[in-house]
Amino acid sequence: MKLATAWILCRKDWRLFLRDRTAMLLSLALPVFLATIFAAAMGGFGGGGVGRVHLLVEDLDSSARSKNFVAELAKSETLRVEAAQDTRRRIADGKAPAALVIPAGWGAALGSAQQLQLTLYRDPGATIEQQILAGALLPALLGSGDEELARSIAMHGMSEFGFSLEQFPGMRSLFDSTWDAFGSWAREHVSKQPAAADGKEADEGFDFARIVSRIVGMRVEDVAGGEDASQKSAMQSHAISGIAVMMLLFGLVAAGGTILEEHDQGTLQRLRLAPEGGAAILLGKFLFTATLGYAQLVILFLYGGVVFSIPVFRDPLAIAVLSLAVVSAATGMGLALAVHAQSRKQLEGFSTLVILVMSALGGSWFPLIATPEWYRKLGHFTLNAWAMDGYQGILWYGKGLSGIWLEVVVLLAIALVASALASRGWKRRFLSTG
Amino acid sequence: MHPPGATRNGPAIEVRGLVRRFGARAAIDGLDFDLQRGEALGLLGPNGAGKTTTIRVLSTLCAPSAGNVRVLGLDPQREAAALRARIGVVPQELALYDTLRARENLAFYGRMHGLSGARLEQRVDWALELAGLRDRALDLVRTYSGGMKRRLNIVAALLHEPELVFMDEPTVGVDPQSRNHVFEMVERLHAEGLTLVYTTHQLGEVERLCDRIVILDAGRSVGQGTLAELQRGQGRAAKAYARVELDERTRARLEGAGLEFRVEEELPNLEAVFLALTGRALRDEE
Repeated sequence: MKLATAWILCRKDWRLFLRDRTAMLLSLALPVFLATIFAAAMGGFGGGGVGRVHLLVEDLDSSARSKNFVAELAKSETLRVEAAQDTRRRIADGKAPAALVIPAGWGAALGSAQQLQLTLYRDPGATIEQQILAGALLPALLGSGDEELARSIAMHGMSEFGFSLEQFPGMRSLFDSTWDAFGSWAREHVSKQPAAADGKEADEGFDFARIVSRIVGMRVEDVAGGEDASQKSAMQSHAISGIAVMMLLFGLVAAGGTILEEHDQGTLQRLRLAPEGGAAILLGKFLFTATLGYAQLVILFLYGGVVFSIPVFRDPLAIAVLSLAVVSAATGMGLALAVHAQSRKQLEGFSTLVILVMSALGGSWFPLIATPEWYRKLGHFTLNAWAMDGYQGILWYGKGLSGIWLEVVVLLAIALVASALASRGWKRRFLSTG
Repeated sequence: MHPPGATRNGPAIEVRGLVRRFGARAAIDGLDFDLQRGEALGLLGPNGAGKTTTIRVLSTLCAPSAGNVRVLGLDPQREAAALRARIGVVPQELALYDTLRARENLAFYGRMHGLSGARLEQRVDWALELAGLRDRALDLVRTYSGGMKRRLNIVAALLHEPELVFMDEPTVGVDPQSRNHVFEMVERLHAEGLTLVYTTHQLGEVERLCDRIVILDAGRSVGQGTLAELQRGQGRAAKAYARVELDERTRARLEGAGLEFRVEEELPNLEAVFLALTGRALRDEE
């Protein structure tokens, strides 16, 4: 009997659930959608492997050897190679996670006593990318088809780890005889294994990229994140910014939703009957929502600064201006969603969907630099991406106001468009006497 | 200063041929009535008759589809801001903030109508006194009973000293004691000269309060005038009397014995008039 009653109740709840499109969307469709976004961000559709790491290459040598090397790098399934200049600044500005500089004369000097070092500029905050890059560098060098280059690398690597061939008689001939077999094995296997692509070795105690760099005789310079940069602080500043932007959106949509609450409880009609009760009501909601959002950001960034040592005081003016732009854009969006929703319940459901998708696409959950290019482009249709670029620019790349002006302008433009949509929806729905 | 059309004299409300359509449906269909200053108008009608729509049109919230409307000499659409400063509206819903105190609610609505400083304090005190809520002024509204909320809902519309107040079922949803308390408050306001437009389903309230009555049905006026005019206009008594024909001799004999003859008329009450004019069929909600 109890079971029969329970079954009756269960059927009733299913009936209610199936008639609640918002609940169905959030429970069934949203997880699938988010899983799709995550999977696409991390590897593309159809199991196509990890996203390619953007590697800038500045070939100052332009020799046949260096060109071969670059061509081999470009063949890697894990790299997206772009010939570039002024690469150090571009890495410092966060335009790419790493850049390789091949010095002039590198090819000619290879194997000689004056062997020139390759230079790798990197953003230490792009943790996963560095491991992927390291996994691709060695096979590219080995696979560039230049016996002298490969041999030189191998010998240099052994020497780096305290096993110089010259110290042991007969070792050189043994090395030479096994070289061919080793090389062909490497071409067959190593290039197909993006060794640390999943980032398992990415903890601070094991810098795979540095070890590979030592093997290939390459100078590594971290050019982003300031003097006290560490992978940990990069992740933390990203996490604080990402959560700040996402929660800001949630908070501001909820605040914007007070319009619907007032409508439902009748206070909105009473406000409309005040002599100035028209645009002033929406403006009042904008001010409330924006100041609430600003307070939310101030608290979160102060907390991040005090507890996690995020450099929020490095450029307070830049953070203040960017936050103003972010809050304006988020407020406009929150109000636009609120005035177009038919009910508070619909607003909550729809905004949850929109905010989670925007957060995933816009880099609030993981750095966009780790995602494929198409994903990054798509992500920049969200305000999250521009906000994250701005915050990371200040907190990680040490940019000032002049370095984030584009982000501020785009966010203010989003604020303008969203506020215009909110205003139009407000007038049509709540002020219309027609 | 009032706009050129605004008057301190003349009718409080003039409605001529008012039509308000929602799509193909006419919520108000050719309504005419006047209301003089200081009068209380009862707007009656079954659900869906057009009472709330009429109030929305008169109080600037809804534009007429056709017809002419003047409220306090102003056009409710073209001179909305000026008119809003001179009218008060008590909505059917409790338009209050539950998590604010009574005083905070009143102060907020007062500020929205341009009051500030000592004047605001004075008006809030007056409103709390009128509503009998002075002792509970600092309590959150959510702790109030239904009747207390109703009283607060009414005085919130009076803070800016409106000349004309629309009350849309201000006593709905409260127990008889609270309703009586609320109603007495409204009666006192009217006795002090406040012009009122009052809608309710409590016909007894209209009988007690209103100088004039408009009965609406399907957006049309099916009867209007004073209560007595409506009663007489029905032309039918509430009770039937037997007619006795007496010849002169018999009559003289009965009168001689001390019997008196008197003609009495028992008029129908408002409920009977209302049902006679609007019929007994059930209506959909407005």
